[in-house]
Amino acid sequence: MSAVSRVRDWLANPWGQPRLLGAFTWAYMVWSIVPVGIAILFSFNNGRSRSVWQGFSTRWWWGDPYNSVLHDPTLRGAIEQSLRLATLDMLVAVPLGVGLAIGLTRWRGYGARPVNYLMLFPLVTPEIVMAVSLLLVFSLLYAIHFGTEAQTLGQVTFSISYVVIIVRGRLLSVGPEYEEAARDLGASQIGAFRLVLLPLLWPAIFASFIVVFALSIDDFVVTDYLSAGQSTQTVPILIYSSVRGTATPALNAVATVMVIITLLSVGLAYLVYRWAARSQPATSNSALNEIAALEV
Amino acid sequence: MKTGSVELVQLRKEFGDVTAVDGIDVSIEAGEFFSLLGPSGCGKTTSLRLIAGFERPTAGKILLDGSDMAATPPHRRKVNTVFQSYALFPHLNVFDNVAFGLRRAHVKKSEIRERVTRVLEAVQLGGYEKRKPGQLSGGQQQRVALARALVLEPSVLLLDEPLGALDAKLRKALQIELKSIQENFGITFVYVTHDQEEALTMSDRIAVMSGGRVEQIATPERMYEEPETVFVADFLGVSNLMPVTAEGAENGACRVKHGDFSLRASRGEVDRRGETHVVIRPERVSIEPYEATGENRVPGMIDRVVYHGASEQLVIRLATGDVVQALFVRDGSQHEWSQGTAVQVYLPADALRVLPPSSVAETAVALAPEAAPEDGAAAVGAGTS
Repeated sequence: MSAVSRVRDWLANPWGQPRLLGAFTWAYMVWSIVPVGIAILFSFNNGRSRSVWQGFSTRWWWGDPYNSVLHDPTLRGAIEQSLRLATLDMLVAVPLGVGLAIGLTRWRGYGARPVNYLMLFPLVTPEIVMAVSLLLVFSLLYAIHFGTEAQTLGQVTFSISYVVIIVRGRLLSVGPEYEEAARDLGASQIGAFRLVLLPLLWPAIFASFIVVFALSIDDFVVTDYLSAGQSTQTVPILIYSSVRGTATPALNAVATVMVIITLLSVGLAYLVYRWAARSQPATSNSALNEIAALEV
Repeated sequence: MKTGSVELVQLRKEFGDVTAVDGIDVSIEAGEFFSLLGPSGCGKTTSLRLIAGFERPTAGKILLDGSDMAATPPHRRKVNTVFQSYALFPHLNVFDNVAFGLRRAHVKKSEIRERVTRVLEAVQLGGYEKRKPGQLSGGQQQRVALARALVLEPSVLLLDEPLGALDAKLRKALQIELKSIQENFGITFVYVTHDQEEALTMSDRIAVMSGGRVEQIATPERMYEEPETVFVADFLGVSNLMPVTAEGAENGACRVKHGDFSLRASRGEVDRRGETHVVIRPERVSIEPYEATGENRVPGMIDRVVYHGASEQLVIRLATGDVVQALFVRDGSQHEWSQGTAVQVYLPADALRVLPPSSVAETAVALAPEAAPEDGAAAVGAGTS
């Protein structure tokens, strides 16, 4: 047996590990993580450069009295605005989306089908189109002020679609029998919702929270269009606008903070989910499946 | 007076252009085990959902112990349902599932504990209180669903194919158990099934439904022995439906012509004249040697011999071209029949039943051979149980 064919057998052994697939997966992991690692590393650079390593320091984090994340109000403000918008978006979009999903699945009227399709609209519309149209609408409606108010409304507008899709999937798989059983056993309509449907929807609601959080933190176009200048800029906007100006490793530190917050919230979400799934064996893993069904 | 009588008066339900239930009249007595039997899409489940209150009737009345239920929402009706899918709440354990209805009725805590424990004992699930539905087998889940409904002591229990998801052996065991639970609790059972054997085994009375209408309401014996329509004859067990020309009564029996052969049929509508069908059950068909003579005999040739374990099924092609099935208990006697043997088929006059003509007859006859093996086995089961 020649060396070439032995290598080929080793790679293509149908009973062995899928080695090529494994190698490819690892290469992809490295490819996607290394840039983030480098960005985090340069937040600790002891110099103004974001590309040449000049030794370790924490000056961009808290050492520098003017330009560090801790002391620069612009940087801190951006992080705060990002988190504020994410929280507001979650609090508004998830309850609305859950209600809408229940209405759409349990509603047998004529309008249900077109509305169902309409829900997909924000997912397929280019974000810039949506941002421009929202800008136009909000300019005409003087009651809505640009900044946090308009930004939240804008983010809720597209986040709701994701919530509806996640929750509706769950509703369809749960079916109407559980509610009917609850009603049959003497629960009122509201009782059936609270005691049976809500606990069954919990994994989907939970997945919705995570998805909405990620969407909000990530969003640039809509948030930028509807901002009211520097006071309401979020981390993505700050990073984008600073690139042309005086970018320091403090920006890397801001980005790192966002990465940490995202990782912490996903970690926390996972723990809470594990705890919730413990009391609901029949539906375990479904929240993860529901997230996996979409890109986060 | 016993409570739990249900009366459906001209009950009708339409979904858009589709009429699911087409004006049925059914009167169910208190304490009765009543089955709604029919193929899928015949309106039996819709009828049940109308009684439960999940659907609103398009027209007609539902009387429960004499009072109209039309305006009462499901959670205020004194009926409970056992769902085909069981619909046990997956986030609650067995105890909480069974206690769900009692809690909605604000029953005292100590009483809840006592009643749940008692009903779980009754369905042989004592000690399973802390389990989640996902940790139970199909049969156990079925019992929990039953207990959850029974604990509320409804006057009527509605069961929607409750044994449909279980394997054959378990189904047999639970059939007997369900019947004895019904007798012990003295509750009216309205039982929806497409399984004719199940209906025949357990019911006090059966309503056979087709196309949203009730074809016949009768006791299992009468339903099987004296089907009134072609549909019922064909749906219950295996029936040999033979097209004939009836020539009216003669000495208390109907003279019918099947092809060139003249037969006497002493059951059913013996006065009828004209094109119609006669029916005979396979177990009443006798096979005799080709040389045999006498009335009601038609020559034929054995087409197929099907072994069923306890019984044997013969498929015979008559000289007229029609196919007749015969069923024998294998007691060690008849063994000389094999494929291709020429025989005389004896169709006793007291087993031949004249049916009213029916538009569905053609489809029913066309469907018969396909459904034959399964129905054959079921008919044996029904005959021996």
